[in-house]
Formats: sequence, structure tokens, C-alpha cells
Amino acid sequence: MRRLFRFPWRRARDIRADVDAELRFHIDARTEALIAGGLAADTARAQATREFGDVDDARRYINALDRDTEAARRRRDYMDDLRQDITYALRKLRTSPAFTITAVVTLALGIGANTAIFSVVNGVLLRPLPFPHAEQLVRIWSANKGANSLQVPASVLDVDDWRAQRQKLADIGAYFYQDGASGVDLTGAGDPQRISAAFVTPGFFTTLGVGALEGRVPNEGEMARGGNDRVAMLSHGFWVRQFGGQRSVVGSKIILGGEPYQVLGVMPPSFTFPDRSVELWIPYSSIPDDAIPHIRPVRVLGAFARMKPGVTLAEAQAEMNLIAGRLARQYPDDDGSYAAATVMSLQESITGKVRTGLLVLLGAVVFVLLMACVNVANLLLARASVREREITVRLALGAGRGRVVRQLLTESVILALAGGVAGLLVARGGVAALLVLSAGQLPRGQDVRIDGTVLAFALGLSVVTGLVFGLVPALRASSPRLQGALREGGRGMAGSAGYRLRNGLVIAQVALAAMLAVGAGLMTKSLVRLLNVDAGFRPDHLVAVMFTISTSRHPNYTQFYHEVIEKVRTVPGVIAAGAVRDAPFRGSGESSGFLLPGMTLKPGEQRLGATFMFISDGYFNTIGAPMIAGREFAPEDRPGGIVPVVVNAALAKKYFPGQTAVGKTLLFGGQVSAQAGAQIVGVVGDIRQSAMDEPAAPTIYVNNLFNSRVKTTLVARTQGDALATARAMRSAIWSLDRDQPITAIFTFDDVVSGAVARPRLLTVLLGVFGVLGLVLGSLGIYGVLAYLVNQRQRAIGVRIALGASPGGVSRMIVRRGLTLTAAGAVIGLAGALALGRFLSGVLFGVQPSDPLTFVGMTAVLIGVAAVASWLPARRAGRVDPVVALRGD
Amino acid sequence: MAAKPMDLMQGTLDVLILRTLAWNAMHGYAVSRWIRERTDGTLEIEDAPLYKALHRLEHTGCVDAEWGLSENNRRARYYSLTARGRKQLKAEESAWRRYAAAVFEVLEPA
Repeated sequence: MRRLFRFPWRRARDIRADVDAELRFHIDARTEALIAGGLAADTARAQATREFGDVDDARRYINALDRDTEAARRRRDYMDDLRQDITYALRKLRTSPAFTITAVVTLALGIGANTAIFSVVNGVLLRPLPFPHAEQLVRIWSANKGANSLQVPASVLDVDDWRAQRQKLADIGAYFYQDGASGVDLTGAGDPQRISAAFVTPGFFTTLGVGALEGRVPNEGEMARGGNDRVAMLSHGFWVRQFGGQRSVVGSKIILGGEPYQVLGVMPPSFTFPDRSVELWIPYSSIPDDAIPHIRPVRVLGAFARMKPGVTLAEAQAEMNLIAGRLARQYPDDDGSYAAATVMSLQESITGKVRTGLLVLLGAVVFVLLMACVNVANLLLARASVREREITVRLALGAGRGRVVRQLLTESVILALAGGVAGLLVARGGVAALLVLSAGQLPRGQDVRIDGTVLAFALGLSVVTGLVFGLVPALRASSPRLQGALREGGRGMAGSAGYRLRNGLVIAQVALAAMLAVGAGLMTKSLVRLLNVDAGFRPDHLVAVMFTISTSRHPNYTQFYHEVIEKVRTVPGVIAAGAVRDAPFRGSGESSGFLLPGMTLKPGEQRLGATFMFISDGYFNTIGAPMIAGREFAPEDRPGGIVPVVVNAALAKKYFPGQTAVGKTLLFGGQVSAQAGAQIVGVVGDIRQSAMDEPAAPTIYVNNLFNSRVKTTLVARTQGDALATARAMRSAIWSLDRDQPITAIFTFDDVVSGAVARPRLLTVLLGVFGVLGLVLGSLGIYGVLAYLVNQRQRAIGVRIALGASPGGVSRMIVRRGLTLTAAGAVIGLAGALALGRFLSGVLFGVQPSDPLTFVGMTAVLIGVAAVASWLPARRAGRVDPVVALRGD
Repeated sequence: MAAKPMDLMQGTLDVLILRTLAWNAMHGYAVSRWIRERTDGTLEIEDAPLYKALHRLEHTGCVDAEWGLSENNRRARYYSLTARGRKQLKAEESAWRRYAAAVFEVLEPA
């Protein structure tokens, strides 16, 4: 039943008093009646009480029941009010479609952008990895504290020892995988193909705790080194693509690298560790010793472990340090420098690189939403002056202030929810665009989607947004002070308090815009710095063809290697050609150590650290890296006699400061005498190898003729169409060996562009948010000034009638806009200075407090604000005093 | 009429109260007196269960309560039938009549 008037709600105390009063009335009335019938007073009361029965029990029962009744009534009233508020709000919003659409679109952009970024953050950072008890998984690196190399891949022998000596770790696994480089050749099933493979140690599958979709994972024996019966696991994608998803392939043999492998099973589609592109998992023991020697100094494995339940990261770290220290003492020659280990949560090791960037984006996008809130709040304030009459009437009719505020808040929450629903569409498009833009740059990109968590986030965000932008206007509109002013015929929101509030909102908005602009400016400058980094080579007209030489087909593979290079040098369009194991930004070489003649290592001392690169003659000339001193390798260098090496400038500067490096001797491995050592024949300029923003490590370039690797990146400087030349190079290789699979073909322009893709993406997104911020901010300034000009038509008209020039009036309005901007900019720049440290993790070569950026962005902000102020100012200058004074 | 008062059957009190309030709003004491007078002491009614029933009916929305002034100018809690109470009375009344008719059917000599 609906009441016309609501009874005030009763509290527990009121209920008790009511029940007492009711029962007392009954006893009194009955007693009086009995006295009237002739009984004595005390006898009458006793009889009345007796007739009543158990008074205390009744009182208790009724009290409890009435409290229930009251609570139910309260709930019902609340729901009635809500329904009434919603109906009323919908009607109000329908009657002003322009306002509603503007507000909903603004909010949709804000909420949508937030939801899109949040779904990325959720998928990449928040959602656990797709392994059972993923929180127990950690990544392990060998650490060479002396060389400050804390994240060095592990050697296979070390991993075996770690596994044997583990106590707090449930299991340890490792893999050898290099994007586009580790793989095997599949033959006997159509054209020869290079299949991307991860070579895994015995603990790999057991540590991750994931079983096979079809068949089974290899057991310990099948994984063990020296096992003759070779086995392989297929990825789901490879199984479907190559074998049409037939179950019969499980148990059959396939030919990989010329050897038969038994297919043991197929992994589930969600299993993409250590990379999405892995198509095969093969025991590491299948790698022949001459491809990757099974010795301690060869550190190529990515190792990881599962901690036993209840074991903390610190305990795992302590245990790994203990074991590494033990091995360093046991094998001082090989492991002496690696007496420690680095342990990190597996999730962090995968997503750590993008973490800061994503959080910066999330922060920026929250700013955008806040600005959208301010804009809508401003719209609501402007609207409130239109609705003053309605609100006054409701207050006058006895609606409480709380009730009116609730009504207004219901309206803003409905607006925000509509914005949220539209925002989900924006988010869907945004997520799709983000994934395209960030292709290959975002770890776990496949886990990014709009799911229940994201929907809950969007819903919560919408409600909070509605309350944030609705609260201030609602409190203001229902303020008793303001209502008093109304009754006296004042102008309400047009009063000075109203302007102060709206000015405050605009200042806040400009401050947010300033912070966004500075962030975007810093990122842009950082990207420009990054793009201007001298990588140490000339990427233009440079192409690469990658392949891995099969040691079974080419037992004397260095000969084949050089035949290929010679052949490629004759290809038309090739100006120069050479080869390297790891092209810049496509691998970081092997880290190892060396000694100088006369050095002897005391126990616990470590060899000098350096990165080893394997190259052919003519490599530096080909990629355009300048020789600083000496010469590079020449075709005349042949094994026998002194081994020539080239070092980079970083190594020369670190180990031979102020000396001539050329002619100096370096000792590797077991070499003890200067006669047996390698001699530096040249110093090359630093080439950035692992990342654009990482200076080159001290590097030793080894001639592939003396010490070789099967993985080959053939590099050529070309004239004309680079990719066409690359195809001709591929044909040249095939003319020597028809069955040689090619791993990849790429241009160095693409490589360099890929190396800055992530910072570029971050810059683009921050730039978009920065521009959005400027637009929202200028809309805010425009809105407030336009409203001011509208409300003050009469005052402006008087000024003009009294002789003020239209230009003077316009300047006054612009000055007001710029004053607001200046106030906001000061606050915003201070904020940007304070928040700068969060950006420092993603900035390159730019201080977060870069003065030039701050000055430049302030100028942009003021320029935009001037334009936004000029439009209403021009209108103010055109006010016709006659019309303005006649009106109103 | 038998001299010894009869116990009230379960649920009977509710229908008696609803019937009593059918004409006009009354406070609890008036309801108590009215039922006693109408049944002439045949039914043994204590006031405690009566008040419990009144509040139970308020909880289920069959009656509404509000404070008013009694005949001798004292604050009393007046109960009145709601639309739902009226419907409830109708339903229970006809159920009672059918029940009673059935019992009479058996008791009447053939």
C-alpha cells in the first residue's frame, strides 16, 4: 500500500515506549471500569492484570515483532522512494536531451577509457598465470654480483644440481627458447619447415603442474640426458595446423632435424609457456653437444621453480643463494663468478617490464575521468540554476534536504550508469585497438578481455563517478542559504558563491590537464631522445636472413657458413654481406668471462665479465659500425696461430683505460699463457645490442672461423628493394642446400622500429589522453565564461553603454579565463613535479622535472585556454547595450 | 450455553479481531471488551494473546495502527483494517462458515 504521508520511522526506544503506553492504557481502562462496577481500587487492578495474562511475555513478544515490522516498513519506504526517484529522474533527463547526451557521451569516454586500460591491467598484471597455484612459481637467474649481472640465464648442469639439492623448492624446471631462433627442422611431412621449439629440462612440466590434453607429458626417464628414444610434445595450435587435430598422431613418429621423435602428447591450448609461438617441447637432452655444449659456462636456460606450500620468496632466494654459493666453491673455474642467484615471482618476471607503463596509463586515464566528472558537474551546476524553482517548491512542500540531495544524486548515478553502458562499447573498441597497437609488445596480451571482473569494475566506477560529479551540485542546489537568496528574488547560482564554485572546478580541471600534458610531453621528449640514440650501426638498406645450420647435414658447418656468405656477396643488389649469431635487438649474445695475462684468480674471485658475439669477416663494414682502432676480421684470417678478436669501445674503456687496446691479449677458458691467448686486432664503436635504452655491454667479437655457433643471421647492405634482395639471398642459400630452412627475413628498419615500439605505444596513448585532457579543459573554461557572459549580459551592456570599448570588454573576459588557467596551471605543474617520480621508470634521457617540457606545456595550455576564452569574449564584445538593457 | 468457557482454537482469534475491526477503528481495550460481550463469556480470551495477535496482524499488513485519543481523553493506539485485512477477513469468514456447516452437517440428526 502506498501512503500519501509517511509516518516517521520509529527507533527501538520509541517502540518500547509505545508498547508500554498501549499496555498501560489497557490495564488502566479495565481497572477504571471495574472500579465503576463497585470493586475496590487495588482489587480492581489485580483483576485487570489477571485477566490480561502474562504481561511481560506479551511485552517482549510485541517489542520484537514491532521492530521487525518497522524494519520492513523502512525497506519498503526506501524502495518506494528509489522507484519514485528513478521515474522522476528519467522523466527529467528525457526532457533535456541535449544535456543528457552531452553528459552521457563525456562520461562514456571517461569510463570507457578507464575500463579499456583496466581490462589490460587486469589481464596482464592482476589475473594469475594459467598454472595451478601460480603464486608458488618463481623465476630463477644465476647472478654474477661482481659484474653486476644479476639476471644471467642458467647453465644446464647448474639447473641439474639446483634440482638435486633443493629443499624448500618443490621442483625446478628450465627451458631453452629464443624467439625466432630456437627451433628444429620438420621434414618428411610436406615442405621442410622450421618449427619453433622450446628445449626443456626434466622438471619443466612437473614444476608448472600442467598435464597433456592428449597423450601424456614425458616422464623423468624420457627427459633425461642421453636418452636414446627421442620424444616431443606438440602445442595445440601446431597439432591442429599440421596434423588436423588427429588423435592418431599421439604415439606416432615425426622427423625433426633428421632424427625420429615419438609424439608423446598434445598440450592444452592455454599452455603457451614460455612463449605463445612455441610449437614443440623437446627434452633439452636432445640438443647435440656440438650445437650447445653441455658445460657449465654455457648459460642459455630460463630457469623457474615451484616453492613448496608456505615457503616465502625470501626463503626461496636464501636457498638458491646457498646452493649457488656451494656450486661456486665446488666449480671455481666455471661457477666461481656466479655465487648467487636472483629469484623473482614468475608473474613479475613476465609482466615487470610493462608494469610501470600500464600503471602510468591507468593514472593518466583516471585523470581523464576526473576531468570528465568536472565537466559534467559544471553542466549540472548550470542546469541547477534552471531547476531552482522546482527544487524550491519541493523544499517548501516539506521535502527534507537529504531527500532532495538523494533525488539529485539518483539522477547523476543514472547518468553515470548510462555513461558506463556506452563506455563499455568504447572499452570494447579501445581494447581491440590497444591489442592491435601493442602487438608483440604486451606480455599476456591473450589474457586481455572484458570479463566479469572488468564489468564489475565498470559498474563500480560508474556509481562512484555519479556520486563524485553529482554530490557538489546536489548539495549546492539544496543549500538552505541559497534557497533563502532565491526567495528574495536573487539569482541563486548566478551569485558570487556559485561563480567561486565553478571557478574552483575549472581550476581543478586545468590542473589535471596540466599534469596530463606534462606527462605526455615528457614521454614524447623521451621517445625523441630514444629515436635519436646512436645504435652504433646504420639500419637503412640493411636486411637479414636467419637460419640455423644443421650439424647432421653439414658436419663441417663453418665451411658451409662461409660458402653461404661468399655466395650471398655475389647476389646482385648486395653491396656488402656478413654474418652474426645475434642481430642487434634480436638476442644479446652469450655472457662469459676472460682473464688478462698475468692475472691469477684467488678462490672466490671472478673472471672479468664480457658478452661474446660470434661474427664473420666484413660484419662491421656491412652494418655500418665504424672501427675506432685497428681492423675487423678479414677473409685472410684462418685458424692456426694467434686468435684475433675485436672488442667494443666499452670493453676497451673499461679494461684498458688510457691505453691502446689493439695488440693486447685476452685469455679464455683454460688458456694460461699469452702465446695461447687471443689478440685484439681492432676496436669497434659501441653497438646497442639488447635494447635501445641500454648502453652496450663490454663485448668481445669472436671470429666464427675460430669459435662458431650454428645459429646464423646473415646480414647484407643492399641497394634498391631490400626485401627483394633478401629473397634473392634466400635463393642463393637454397642453391647451396635445397633443404636449408629459413627462420626469418627482416629489415633492420623494422628491428629498430620494434625496439622502440613499447615506448612509442606509451607515448601515443599518453598523447591521446593529454589531448583529451586539453579538450576537456578548454571546454570547461569555455563553458564557465560563456555562462558568465550570458548571465552578465546586462552588466556588460551597462559598461558598453557607459563607454567601455567592445575590445576592452573582450579583454576583461579573456583575462578572467587566463587567470583561472594560470591558477590551475600552477597547481597542475606542482602536481606534475610531485608525480614525476612515477614516470621516471619509463622515461629515457629526460628528467621527470625537465624544465623545457614544463615551460613548453604551460605555453600550450595557456594558448589553448586563450582560444577557449576568446570565443565567449568575442560574444561579450558584441553585446548590444540596447537589447541587453531592455531584456530581463 | 455451557457454564465452563471453551479454549480458543488456533487461528480463531485473528478472524475475531478482523471481524471486530470491520466496522470501525478501535483500540486494543475496546476490541477485547467487544469480543467478550459478543461471545458472552463463552470463549476464554486472555488479553495478552489478543495484543500479540493485533501486532502480528499489523506485521502482516492486515491492520494499521496509529495513536489517537480515547473516549476519556487518553492516548490510545487505534487499529483499523487495511485493504489486505478486509480481503483476509472475507477469506477466513467463508472458510469458517464452510467448516461450521460441515460440522453441523455431521452433528444434525439425519
